[in-house]
Amino acid sequence: MATHVTTVSDPEYQEVQSQRLLGFLFFLISDCVIFGDFIFSYLYLRNAAPVWPPVGIERPYLYLAAVNSVVLFGSGATMHYAMEGIRRARLRQFVSFTVLTIILGSMFLGGQAYEYTHLRDTWAGSTFGASFFTLTGLHGFHVFIGVVFLIVVLLQTLRGTYTPQRHFGLTAATLYWHFVDVIWVALFFLFYIY
Amino acid sequence: MSISELEQHPASHIHPPPDTFIKKYVFSLDHKVIAVQYFVTAGLFLVFAGLLAELMRVQLMGPNNHVLSTAVFDEAYSLHGTAMVWLVGIPLVTGAFGNLIMPVQIGARDVAFPWLNMLSFWMLPVAGILVFSSLLFGAPQAGWTEYPPVSLQLPLGASLSLWCAGVFVIGVSSTITGLNFLVTIIKMRAPGMTYTRMPLFVWATGVTAFLSMIATANLSAALAGLFIQHVFGVPLYDVGRGGAPVLWQHVFWFYSHPAVYILILPAFGIVSEVIPTFVRRPIFGYKAIAYSSAAIGLLSFMVWAHHMFTSGLQHWEQLFFMILTMVIAVPTGIKIFSWVTTLWRGKVRLDSPLLFVLGFLSTFTLGGITGVMLASVPADAQEHASYFVVAHIHYVLFGGTIFGIFAGLYYWWPKMTGRMLDERLGKWHFWIMYLAFNLTFLPMHWVGLLGMPRRVATYDPVFAGTNMFVSISSFVLAASILIFIINAWRSARQGEPAGPNPWGARTLEWMIPSPMPYYNFRDIPIVLSGPYDYGKPLPYANISQDLAMVPVH
Amino acid sequence: MKQEKTEPLLDAGFWRAVAVMAIISAALMWGVVVMPIDRYLPEASTVSKPIDDLFRFCAFFGAPIFVFVNGFLLYFAIRYRHRADEPMDAVGSDIHEHHGLELTWTIIPSILMIVLAVLSYRVIPLYYPTDQAVASAVTLEAIGHKFYYEFRYPGLRQSVMNELHLPIGVPVTIDVTSAEESPDVQTGAVIHSFWVPEFRVKQDMIPGMVIPIHVTPDQIGIFRIVCSEFCGLGHSHMWGKVVVQSKEDFDKWYADQNRAAAAEAAGVQPISLAGGVASAGQTLFNAKCVVCHNAAPFAQRKVGPGLADLFDDPDHPDLVTGKTATPSNVADILVHGAHGDMGVMPNMQANGLSSKDVADLVAYLQTLHH
Repeated sequence: MATHVTTVSDPEYQEVQSQRLLGFLFFLISDCVIFGDFIFSYLYLRNAAPVWPPVGIERPYLYLAAVNSVVLFGSGATMHYAMEGIRRARLRQFVSFTVLTIILGSMFLGGQAYEYTHLRDTWAGSTFGASFFTLTGLHGFHVFIGVVFLIVVLLQTLRGTYTPQRHFGLTAATLYWHFVDVIWVALFFLFYIY
Repeated sequence: MSISELEQHPASHIHPPPDTFIKKYVFSLDHKVIAVQYFVTAGLFLVFAGLLAELMRVQLMGPNNHVLSTAVFDEAYSLHGTAMVWLVGIPLVTGAFGNLIMPVQIGARDVAFPWLNMLSFWMLPVAGILVFSSLLFGAPQAGWTEYPPVSLQLPLGASLSLWCAGVFVIGVSSTITGLNFLVTIIKMRAPGMTYTRMPLFVWATGVTAFLSMIATANLSAALAGLFIQHVFGVPLYDVGRGGAPVLWQHVFWFYSHPAVYILILPAFGIVSEVIPTFVRRPIFGYKAIAYSSAAIGLLSFMVWAHHMFTSGLQHWEQLFFMILTMVIAVPTGIKIFSWVTTLWRGKVRLDSPLLFVLGFLSTFTLGGITGVMLASVPADAQEHASYFVVAHIHYVLFGGTIFGIFAGLYYWWPKMTGRMLDERLGKWHFWIMYLAFNLTFLPMHWVGLLGMPRRVATYDPVFAGTNMFVSISSFVLAASILIFIINAWRSARQGEPAGPNPWGARTLEWMIPSPMPYYNFRDIPIVLSGPYDYGKPLPYANISQDLAMVPVH
Repeated sequence: MKQEKTEPLLDAGFWRAVAVMAIISAALMWGVVVMPIDRYLPEASTVSKPIDDLFRFCAFFGAPIFVFVNGFLLYFAIRYRHRADEPMDAVGSDIHEHHGLELTWTIIPSILMIVLAVLSYRVIPLYYPTDQAVASAVTLEAIGHKFYYEFRYPGLRQSVMNELHLPIGVPVTIDVTSAEESPDVQTGAVIHSFWVPEFRVKQDMIPGMVIPIHVTPDQIGIFRIVCSEFCGLGHSHMWGKVVVQSKEDFDKWYADQNRAAAAEAAGVQPISLAGGVASAGQTLFNAKCVVCHNAAPFAQRKVGPGLADLFDDPDHPDLVTGKTATPSNVADILVHGAHGDMGVMPNMQANGLSSKDVADLVAYLQTLHH
């Protein structure tokens, strides 16, 4: 339903909010399925290969990725505090932690870019590259979208779109950001540890 | 209060109607208009895909025919399958019927996300253009399943990319529709409508929505994989560099098996609506039908590799998928037996909607039996990739989905348009289509078992007689659709006006005028019990009680 | 006070209908049991009959299900028809569940599925080498190509094309795969299928995988190999033969193969094009070459180009091998095959051509452009 009505009472907003939340959760679940497909492909190819990584391919560096992961998980924590800020009507807390999240997210992307340029394998170079770059690239794309999403909702908040009671856009952005974190846990394990 | 007064009152949630032509008919947010858009667009693709099939049957009238070159023949069956599954079948049962009926049957004014609904629709013509434009570049030739490596090899140019892009787009559309419908059913049912008071079409649409949402996302990923292999050389299916062709089969069928349940479950839902109306008694086994739909939905994710029994699966994999495929036959059988039992001691009216349902039950049962034959791994060794499978899929998809679609069309036509279809033409349509259908597809079981493979433009001359017979029957089958088109045309121009409830049915869509007003319900109904208790008072409060509960035909 | 007699739920009419359906079912079931499948399609391997019996099992129980579903549809639709003299709003019975009935039609199909699963499970080792399978006497290789079958026998230096000879009664393992010379995914091997309908055996030939199957032929005869997995433009024409012979005949054939291979290895005779007969070449062309070529101008290609102007085409003076279009260069292509952009042309051995055939074909091709 369109939000053109300005005198919608709270129970009705709650109704709309719960529909949007469920819809957004379903969207995140379907996004998980997409990652699941590529994870299945990776594990299948890895299992079928006589040796892994394939001959001549190096595994990517664990420590760089570990640092990058800490950055990303940290940004999940900062976003959590940001949401606390909006719920307690502390705008400054929200803004500062959201900005911090955006910075940390961008640092993660920078770290990925650094790693990509220092790997000798290429996307089309081997089945390792096929799996690694497709999955981490898809994830990185999601992080990029997440950063854009956060910038947009930050600007909207500064313009006064959200209140402590009505901030579905922020809830969605935060959920999306946590989703990106959860996917990274899986990818970090699958490529750097396993 | 009048409607215009209600429009001013926010609590009623009746918004002012769309005012411009664009907002009313082009970029409409109204689920009923979107449904009609789906009907028309998918109907158009049905004609294209059907013509492709008829072209194939002309080529196959005799062995070594030169009506179509091999390449064009291969393009024909590839686009026929692609279009029928993705541009006709799924859009019709979800986008058209789901949109038209489900929100009204749950007593809502629209779906949860009308703007996304509109977006979903508009992705259909875009997808169709992408897929059919591949013909300009030499369309894909490896069937609707496009197995690599061969799908990466035939003279392609842009055609495989266009195919991937087109199917990707319709896949996204389907995922969004699934999400939309599922949120609608979970969150927007009228007060009092518990899950076990929902009409069975809503149950079917809900499970289908869940499948659309989860399985189709997988299709998008699979297509992206094929695309990046084709365009960027990323070695997923490239044997020379460690890739695996069978990987594609796994990721493709993980979606495409649930896809066939997406195609059939709404048809099951239509059957469950039409039967009680035309025998005027409660459906037998409501809970069994409802829960078995959910069971089929979940099981559909666990049977995909029965399409791959000859692809070098491990023995334990063959056993696992064989057993689960046999398991999924049981809830399907339960439904069929329940529907047949509903006819017992009914007051049967053999109108066109019910005739198509009876045709469905007759043909789908045979399709189910041949499905069990395919489930057995050793029996499948003979049947796989032969015309036996072609027969099976058409018995369940044409005999099942298409007959179900026609049943729904005849049933809900008065509700959608406010006019009746001609009953005599409907009967002619049914009988010719039913007989021609069986004459076309029944013989295929035979030649398949004797050794005629799929996807061939020519065949061993020993199969010539049967193929000629099949081709001629198929021409009659195609012609029978013309009867419906004529019927629809005449109904639009001079059809008898239909009231709100010409069939004397009990689900909520029959409680409002025909065609349905843009706001659906003046007042949201309150639901007191299930919808199939013929003989008892209507189970709704807040509904105008002077609606005729008596069939007028 | 209620005066009406309560009718039985299922009355005489119902049971009469059931009896009719039962009789029809019984007739069909009897037909399934006695149907002489082997008259329509020989049961030529030891797994044919077990697989046919699985099919019979499904049809045996499928027949009554089909008859009763259709029968009840017909019976109920007619018997319980709304009659003109009944009021328009007359309703049917309100009986909408019956636990006994519903349990029955859940349990019986489940039992049938369990039985089918067990029976199927026992047939699998008859053609897949599981632990319980019968040990085989010899292992062959079957390799799918575009668009022919290659068979490699242990002890035979040269492969045999398109004809799989087997001695009757001997269990063999066939390692099934697919291969082409080119490793590139755009021109390399594709999936084919090795299907012998009379054996009831089918195994997909997948590049990068070697999949073993077991076969024991038990009928002498010539049977078809059908490719049932789409493999490209030649798919409709990809087929071969299984020749099942007595042990003596098979041994003779095997020895002949060795002799031929030795002769060929000893000295490759240059193909003499003199004495090639164009009419014989035309017959050969129409039998073997039309799969991929037309006797038409270059542009009318199928898999390969049209060959009508082969020796006289200003737009295409060179052959696909890059050499000029002379009779001996054309003969070279016939002998060794060639790689085109849309497929691989098989060599003379794969095409089953003798030296004389090559000469005849060249002679025929030379007549085309006049």
